[in-house]
Parts: sequence; C-alpha cells; structure tokens
Amino acid sequence: MTFFIQVFIEGIALGAVYSLVALGFVIIFKATDVLSFAQPALAALGAGFICYFATEAGINFWLSLLIGIFLTGAVGLLIERTVLRQMVGEPVFSVAVITIGVDILIRTFLDDWIGDEPRFLGDSFTSYGNFGSFSIGEFNFKYLEMAGLFVAFIVILLLNLFFKKSRYGLAMLATSFDQETALAQGINVGRVFGLAWFIGGLLAAIAGFVFTGGFNTLTQLSFVLALRALPAVVIGGLDSIPGAIIGSLIIGVTQSLAGYYQYSIEEYFDINLGLGFSTVAPYIIMFFILLVKPEGLFGTKEVERV
Amino acid sequence: MKDRLDFYNSYKEEHRIFNNRVQRFWAVFGVLISIYTLIILDDVWLFLLTLAMMTTIGAWGLNIVSGFAGQISLAHGAFIGIGTYTAFVLGGNIGSSVLSYGLDMAIWLPLSGIVPMLFGILISPVTSKLKGLNLGLFSIGIVYFVLHIFQNFRTVTGGSGLGRKSPDFVFLGFNFENGITIGNLVLNENNLIALFSLVILILSGFGVKNIARTKTGRAFFSIRDRDIAAEAIGVDLLRYKGIAYAISSFYAGICGALLFTFTGGVEPNQFNFVYSVTFIAIVIIGGAGTVLGPLFGSFFFILMPSVIQEIIHFFGLFEQSSLLNLAQIERLVFGIFIIVFLIFEPRGLWGIWFRLRNYFKAWPFSY
Repeated sequence: MTFFIQVFIEGIALGAVYSLVALGFVIIFKATDVLSFAQPALAALGAGFICYFATEAGINFWLSLLIGIFLTGAVGLLIERTVLRQMVGEPVFSVAVITIGVDILIRTFLDDWIGDEPRFLGDSFTSYGNFGSFSIGEFNFKYLEMAGLFVAFIVILLLNLFFKKSRYGLAMLATSFDQETALAQGINVGRVFGLAWFIGGLLAAIAGFVFTGGFNTLTQLSFVLALRALPAVVIGGLDSIPGAIIGSLIIGVTQSLAGYYQYSIEEYFDINLGLGFSTVAPYIIMFFILLVKPEGLFGTKEVERV
Repeated sequence: MKDRLDFYNSYKEEHRIFNNRVQRFWAVFGVLISIYTLIILDDVWLFLLTLAMMTTIGAWGLNIVSGFAGQISLAHGAFIGIGTYTAFVLGGNIGSSVLSYGLDMAIWLPLSGIVPMLFGILISPVTSKLKGLNLGLFSIGIVYFVLHIFQNFRTVTGGSGLGRKSPDFVFLGFNFENGITIGNLVLNENNLIALFSLVILILSGFGVKNIARTKTGRAFFSIRDRDIAAEAIGVDLLRYKGIAYAISSFYAGICGALLFTFTGGVEPNQFNFVYSVTFIAIVIIGGAGTVLGPLFGSFFFILMPSVIQEIIHFFGLFEQSSLLNLAQIERLVFGIFIIVFLIFEPRGLWGIWFRLRNYFKAWPFSY
C-alpha cells in the first residue's frame, strides 16, 4: 500500500507538469481555434534558452530562468504574428499542420545547438537532482518533482485569477466563446490571439525546465516528453481548462502506475506488454475516452448546424 | 468543332482518363521518356527516382483518405509499416533469426497491400464516428500504439534499434539481381527495379484516377465537402469512409513493401510520428485532392534535398561552414516549404502547374 501511494504521488507530480503543457495547448486552442503542435518544440526551446543563459552566458540561474521563460513566450508571440495570423479562417487541419512545420523549424535550430551530448541546465537541482529526495514518514519526495508540482499549482492558480479578474482574461474567454461577437464588442481579437500564444509559450518553457532540470538533462529528444501531454488534452477536452488539468493528472498517474506495475501485470496475466509500455498506456485510455465521449471528459459538445 | 480541346459531346467523353488528344500525347510521351531515363541512368539519381516513384504510391494512398474523402489521417506511416512487415515476413529469406517464409514477390506484394487494408477496414467503424481534429488525434494514438508493437514484436520486426533485412526482388521465379541483357542493352538490378516500380506506379495512378472519376470518388468528394449533406443525399457514410480507409491502406502497404525492400531493410522506429507527417507534407506540397499533386509532391520532396546539395556543391557554399549540416538544411527546407505552401499556395505544386497550363492553353490570349 505504501508503495502504491508513493507511485500515485509520483504520478500526480508528473501529471502536474504535463498539465502545464496541456494548459498551453488548451489556452491556444480555446482562444484561437488552433491545435498547436509546436508546443513540444517550445518546451524544449525554453529549456534551451535557460541552459544557454545559465551555462554559456554565465548569468545567475534564477535570472536566466526568468529570461528563458519570457523569451519563449516572445517566440510564441512571434509565431502567432508571422505564421498563424496569415491562416485565420483556414481549415483547422491546415493550421495544425502549419504548426508542425513551425515545430520542425524550431527543433532543427535547437538540435543543432544542443548537439549530441546531453546538456545540464545549470540549476541547483543538479547537485541532488533526481536522486535528491526527502522523506516524510514512509514516503519519499523528490525535490524536482515537488518543485514541479508546486510551480504547476501556482501557475494554475494565477491563470485562474487571470481569467476571472483581469480584463484580458475576460477578453480571452469572450473570444473563445465567439470570435466575431467579441470583435463586435470592441475586443482586440488579434491582441488576444497573441496573448494566448505568449501564455502558451510561457507555460511550455516552465514545463520544459521541469522536464529537463536536474539530472534529466536537455537532449535532442526532450521534446518527446512534452508531446506526451497530447493525450491529456484529448481526454480532458480540447477546450476545457479544468479538463486539461484533470486529463494530465490521469495521464501522469496512469503512466507511473503502468511503469511500476507492468512487471506484476505481465506475470499475473502471462503476457508481454513490451518495453516502454507506460508511455503508450495514456494513448490506450485516450482511445477509450474518444470512443465514449469524442469531445473529451469536460469538452463542450460540438453542435452542427445544417 | 472536333479540334476544340474542351468540347465534349457526352459526359462519358469528358470523364475519360485522358479526355483529349494533348493529354493522351503527353501521357504516352511521358511514359516513353521515363522508360528511357530509367534505362540509361545508373547512379544516385536512378535510386532517387525509384524512391520517388515508390513514395508516390504511398502519397496517393494518403490523398485518397485525406484529400478525396477529407478524413484526416496522421497514421499513414503505421499502415505503411504494417504493409512493410507483411512483405518482410512473407518474402524474407529463410534462415534468418526473424520470422520469414521466403515466398515469391508475386505473392507478397499483393498481400502486403491486403493486410493493411484489412486493418484499415477493422478500425474504420471507430474512425467513421470521429471527425475533424479528434480524428487526427485518434490517429496519432494509432501511430504510437502501432510503433510500440513494432518495437517489441521482435520475432517479426527484429526489435527496436536492430530491425531486419528485406526480402529479395524475386518476381515469378526471376531474381532481379541477375539483370537482363537484350542485344547491346544491359539492364542491371537497379534499372529493373526502377522499371518495375514504374509499372506499379502507372497501375496505381490509373487506380486513383478511376476512383476520382467514378461513383466512389464522387461519394468521397461529397463527404469531404460536407458530411451531413452527403448523408442527406444518400451517401452511406460508414460504408464510404470504410472504403476510403481500405483503399488508402492498400496503397500504403504496397508503398511500404516496395520502398523498404528497395532500401534493403527497416528499423521499427522508422515508422514514427514524423514519418506520417512527411506524407502529409508531401500531399500538401503537391496539392491535396488532386490526382497529379501527390506525384509532384513526392518527386519534389525526394529529389529536392539532392538538388539543393548539388547547388551547394556547385557554388561551394557551406563547405567548411559548421553552421548547419546537409541533413539539417534538408529538414529546414522541409519545414519552410510546409509553411510557405500552406500560406501562399494551398493547392500546392498542382496549383502552380494548373495556372501554368491554363496560361499556355489560352496563349497568346491569356491574361
């Protein structure tokens, strides 16, 4: 039982980090009707910026963390202004494919810079890294995971405040409800689009740091970690912010449970699930959810007029 | 009146595969030129042309399901993988550590299309219920699921990181390795494979054209344009979406079987998400929903990196530069082309060709 709870907590922490990426997906989708496949690349790019400023430019780590996160947001804004603004009103799928193109561009330059050796981000988590943990009672907590959980919690709280209290948060909600009506009410929809991408970039960069911090290191394959948040978005519903968080938690817990219990399951049922089954398990859940509720657990059902 | 190219007396006349003299002439001329080129060439360009022809078959497959029937499929790579491994298992040389039966190409080539087709029919009840982005996301799930199976099903695929060797090109007992000598003309293995894939390419091209001009194709187009309206005029959505997936997967399987038999072997991670995206890019760059588009797209996509390489060598650029290596330039251009074509020319290379053609059609009165 102790073991189960331990694994469960790790799953929650993992899910919390996924939720940062998932929130990026959802905010961009809600505000601009674009499914951004560039999100994983932005996460890796954020980690890359932080790594560059902290290790090569020699700036204080916490400062470079802030610069890196901010710069990634700016890149998100840039993508929206240069590429996606041209595509307003085009079919959803064409726009999704164009973000794949952006993803390829970003990662080409990033991979060239990263090189073949894994890079440390120069954070203070390195000294104890993934091995560094503290215990409360029988349970172990890893510093980085707990930091991820904490940051995710704070960010979600801030976003909630942003949507409830700030003018632009409200404008964004209105835009996601109906772009043309929002425009008619005097909302600067273009600015809202940019803001959505900016926030998406910020969130991706924060997630990118937690994924690659400590002993996890930044490699050419780091972006895959962020791509795993995709089933979370589908499970929760593409246009639901609480859905993104809950979907991510489901994915995180599934992944860590599947990872730890795979051997027992295999032995019990006498089957071979294969290496890396834990990363596929979320997709299996996604299949079932899509079959039962195609709009996701919390998504709004699409009403089609004929 | 008969001299006017666009003058038809009946729908039947208009719906012919080549509906006027000019098209017939260019088709025959094109085939003859291709045969001549594939016979005289014997270098890296022959290799690339063969790859491009084989890729075209797969791109046509994706075009049928996504371009014609409008069903987003990001799982095309998975179907290509299933076809590839069917071919490898049935045709693989007996005695290797992986499952192989050493059959003739005349058996494994059709079957490598039929097995993915069955798989496509199997998932079509599920995929027909979904539409738009959900369908795309579902197909991403399929990619990762199938990839996982490929990576772990060692008796068939050789396992992640290892892969397996391809079968030989042995068609009806004739091994392509032996080559053919006709008079002074010596055709080696590569020429024969190229000619063989040209034959398959032409056959599948007629297949695509025939789908586009018949009832099935019109049903696909109506589903693409508006599925509810299609249902209202009596198109059986479930049935036609199933047919679209079946035909698309058949083409995918044939493409995979030929492509990886030609390249000599395959590693499971080849069939990752990026591989499926590559095919989407080919179809978009070429022109979705057209017959010739995927052909243009494939040739453009396969030949372009080498052309760029030639240009770079010719001008001596980047020789010592460590800025970006060739593979990276290739990916960069790939990404840029996806973006540029989607923004500026959504109809792809076909659209450019279409405008050029119409310009010369009405020349000198084009405006």
